Amino acid sequence: MTNHDLNDGSAVKHRHRHEGPQKHIIAFVFSIILTLIAFATVAAGGVNIAFTVLLLLVMAVLQVLVQLGYWMHLKDKGHMMPILFMAGGFFVAGLAIIAALYWMWW
Amino acid sequence: MTTPHAQQASSALPHEPEKATLEGRNKVLGFWLFLGGEAVLFGTLFATFLTLRNQVADGPSASELFSLPITAAATFILLVSSLTSVFAIQAMHRGNRTSLVRWLGLTVLLGLAFLALEIYEFAEYIIHDDYGMTTSAFSSAFYTLVGFHGAHVLFGILWISILIGQLFKKGLTVVTAPKVYVSAMYWHFIDVVWVFIFTVVYLLGKVVG
Amino acid sequence: MAHAHSVKRHKGLMDWLTTVDHKKIAILYLVAGGLFFGIGGIEALMIRVQLAKPMNDFVTAQQFNELITMHGTTMIFLGVMPIIFALMNAVVPLQIGARDVAFPFLNSLGFWTFLFGGLLLNLSWVMGGAPDAGWTSYTPLSSSTYSTTHGVDFYTIGLQIAGLGTLIGGINFLATIITMRAPGMSFMRMPMFTWTAFVTSAMILFAFPAVTVGLVLLTFDRILGANFFDVAQGGNPVLWQHIFWIFGHPEVYILILPAFGIISEVVSTFSRKRLFGYSSMVFATILIAFLGFMVWAHHMFTTGMGPVANALFSIATMLIAVPTGIKIFNWLFTMWGGQITFNTANLFAAGFIPTFVMGGVTGVMLASAPADYQYHDTYFVVAHFHYVIVGGLVLGLFAGLHYWWPKMFGRVLNEGLGKLEFWTFIIGFHLTFFIQHFLGLIGMQRRVFTYLPNQGFDLMNLISTIGAFLMGVGVIVFLINIAISFKQPKGVDGDVWKDGRTLEWAIPSPPPEYNFKQTPLVRGIDAFWKEKMAGNKEMTPAEPVGPIHMPSPTILPFVMSVGLFIAGLGFMFTNDDFGNSLLNFLFGNYIITGIGLAITFGSMLLRSLFDDHGWHVEPEELNDKGVKA
Repeated sequence: MTNHDLNDGSAVKHRHRHEGPQKHIIAFVFSIILTLIAFATVAAGGVNIAFTVLLLLVMAVLQVLVQLGYWMHLKDKGHMMPILFMAGGFFVAGLAIIAALYWMWW
Repeated sequence: MTTPHAQQASSALPHEPEKATLEGRNKVLGFWLFLGGEAVLFGTLFATFLTLRNQVADGPSASELFSLPITAAATFILLVSSLTSVFAIQAMHRGNRTSLVRWLGLTVLLGLAFLALEIYEFAEYIIHDDYGMTTSAFSSAFYTLVGFHGAHVLFGILWISILIGQLFKKGLTVVTAPKVYVSAMYWHFIDVVWVFIFTVVYLLGKVVG
Repeated sequence: MAHAHSVKRHKGLMDWLTTVDHKKIAILYLVAGGLFFGIGGIEALMIRVQLAKPMNDFVTAQQFNELITMHGTTMIFLGVMPIIFALMNAVVPLQIGARDVAFPFLNSLGFWTFLFGGLLLNLSWVMGGAPDAGWTSYTPLSSSTYSTTHGVDFYTIGLQIAGLGTLIGGINFLATIITMRAPGMSFMRMPMFTWTAFVTSAMILFAFPAVTVGLVLLTFDRILGANFFDVAQGGNPVLWQHIFWIFGHPEVYILILPAFGIISEVVSTFSRKRLFGYSSMVFATILIAFLGFMVWAHHMFTTGMGPVANALFSIATMLIAVPTGIKIFNWLFTMWGGQITFNTANLFAAGFIPTFVMGGVTGVMLASAPADYQYHDTYFVVAHFHYVIVGGLVLGLFAGLHYWWPKMFGRVLNEGLGKLEFWTFIIGFHLTFFIQHFLGLIGMQRRVFTYLPNQGFDLMNLISTIGAFLMGVGVIVFLINIAISFKQPKGVDGDVWKDGRTLEWAIPSPPPEYNFKQTPLVRGIDAFWKEKMAGNKEMTPAEPVGPIHMPSPTILPFVMSVGLFIAGLGFMFTNDDFGNSLLNFLFGNYIITGIGLAITFGSMLLRSLFDDHGWHVEPEELNDKGVKA
């Protein structure tokens, strides 16, 4: 995360607008905060279990959305097919998980 | 491959070299499709784990077994490695091979650290607690889910290491760039899966296990 | 392949082992799929011989279990799936105006992994007994407690390898259809068969990883002593059923959708009319795929999921009848008022429609959960799924094979023999399976190896067996037809049916290696028909004549698949005592498995290290028939 390494040399050779590291660092900090909230809630203990479960899941989903969107560029243009097929994958995965949670005997 | 494939000088590379050729674009798209399938694969493993989460038989329960500090350390390491692979791709987009190789190398080292922690954790359970694949349905599900993720990490480490070698030998070209790009996608996906693993397996295991 | 630009052209067997040409891979799929289809067919006939009379002892109970398991598994995974892939490989790149698939190497890899997985599975016949727990391999029957031979190991590992090949093939076709379409070929101008290939590939992508996990869990239970399905250690047998059917139900739509595509092409061509309701066909295809993922638990109504879940899955299942009905009506409206030619291909298509409707109607009957408690595990279910898979898919495949045979091989199949084949097959089919509805309703259970006389089963079973042999005659007539067709010289007219509508008919039969000399410009649905109606004899090219880039042949996919085969065989026998210390050492310490995986991953490494730059067909080498003259 040292900036001089990111800005040296070859970037001047061609005139494309390169995106800087800032937004990725923001995504990283955001991920760290979400992770810390999750771990801290569990470590502290004593919080209502249902609330904790919900909180943990929200933190996880938010973090995954941030990483898919920014680090894997799904929020960028021209990613309709990747979004479609990732969504499809998550949808079917969700079906399997719903089956596991609601239609198994125990 | 209508564009010349002999482009060696990185200064002549287009802005997004991974998408400069039809082969490159196909590779990136095909890898996205593969990741969609991987999502189902891990989803089914999670479903298995969730079904069997309380079936500990005579063994310890999740909350007795897991140690949060190790999980937190592993999580932090993998998160940082995801960031370093983002920086690697940015370096590639600037056409800076040296920087690209450095960031990839750092990613590999972090991956190794993560894997070492996981092996340590498994060894603790297996050797000290005599807690293996055959102990209970829960242990089978735990080792299979987390082990599948660990195997993905191992594969990613080997893959990126081989790509580093190729970058030295062949340089950053429109042929090597898509390979680097999809390996970074793979690495991010491993991190995404881990987010669910530390949440569902370890944290929820502590809370409701 | 390691040497850039110096292309090695192989001849004979090596050509087939190393080819990355989708048209040759199509033929490989067809031959291998046809072989397994034949094996599955012989198994079916043996089942029917055993059941022809009460208390028969043609086979033992154990052999019967092996036969029904292998019949189902072989037909679905190794018979019809590869023939679907054969048609997809032969036709889809041509229909979208592409010179090749997106990943020629993966295309070849997908075929060879399928083939070696299938060979591994069938090796079980000569290596200690075939799988015997049914094609669904429900636990605990398939656990090492109750299934003590290696049969189920051959099932789990063979299907794992074959399934990997299918998944690779699915990804390849998705990417091909997304990125390789000719200029002007928008999604809503794609021929219907390409659309169904696309949707089927998407379903493969989302369904096969689930069965991959299921098979891994069962393998771990059996070989590593894991407890996923072992109730004594907290495991859950119903988990297997959920995972299997989350894959298994989409799988049946994976099978039937391409048949829908074939029927759409054949009906429209031989009615000399545009497909009625093209957009609604596309919409219905996607809707069927979506709903196909939401209904898996209708296979599990009797497991005790409770009335709410049963009601939900009942309704979702019945909903599928709506888009399917849309398709049926669209085909009828396409034929309505058309100038219909009833040749063999169209006979199969026309026979498909009522037959498949019958299978669909029993499907809706089965979707009703309370009624399903009666039908469950009886011959009614057997009749139902044979009506949709044989009466639907297999009739569709025959239609497709007769329709595209000239395109694939440059020779036309004989019409007289074709009609004989159609009538024997379809009469034999209804004779076999229609009566099984009633056998089920009066109480004959499926998977029983024999039955007592005088329960009302005797005559119906005999009729069913006679029908099965008639179907066998139909298939033999088809094989004779093929043999005769190869006596003809190659090279029929590119547009052999005269009324070809889509791009594959705009190029010679069989097409040259590069398919299109110049990539065609697509100006609407049924691109070739549109040009013909505008008075043009050929497609308008979208590019000047130039050198065409081709991928190099490679042996690596074959070697990778051999590696997986060895690894699978090694893993299966991990816990065996061979009475030989060297063999025990090699298998017990995963050394054979390791060698196999080293071959596979080593080949992957070679593929990565040595770039394939391919080679070029130069303009002067292009014969003049690149775009139809």
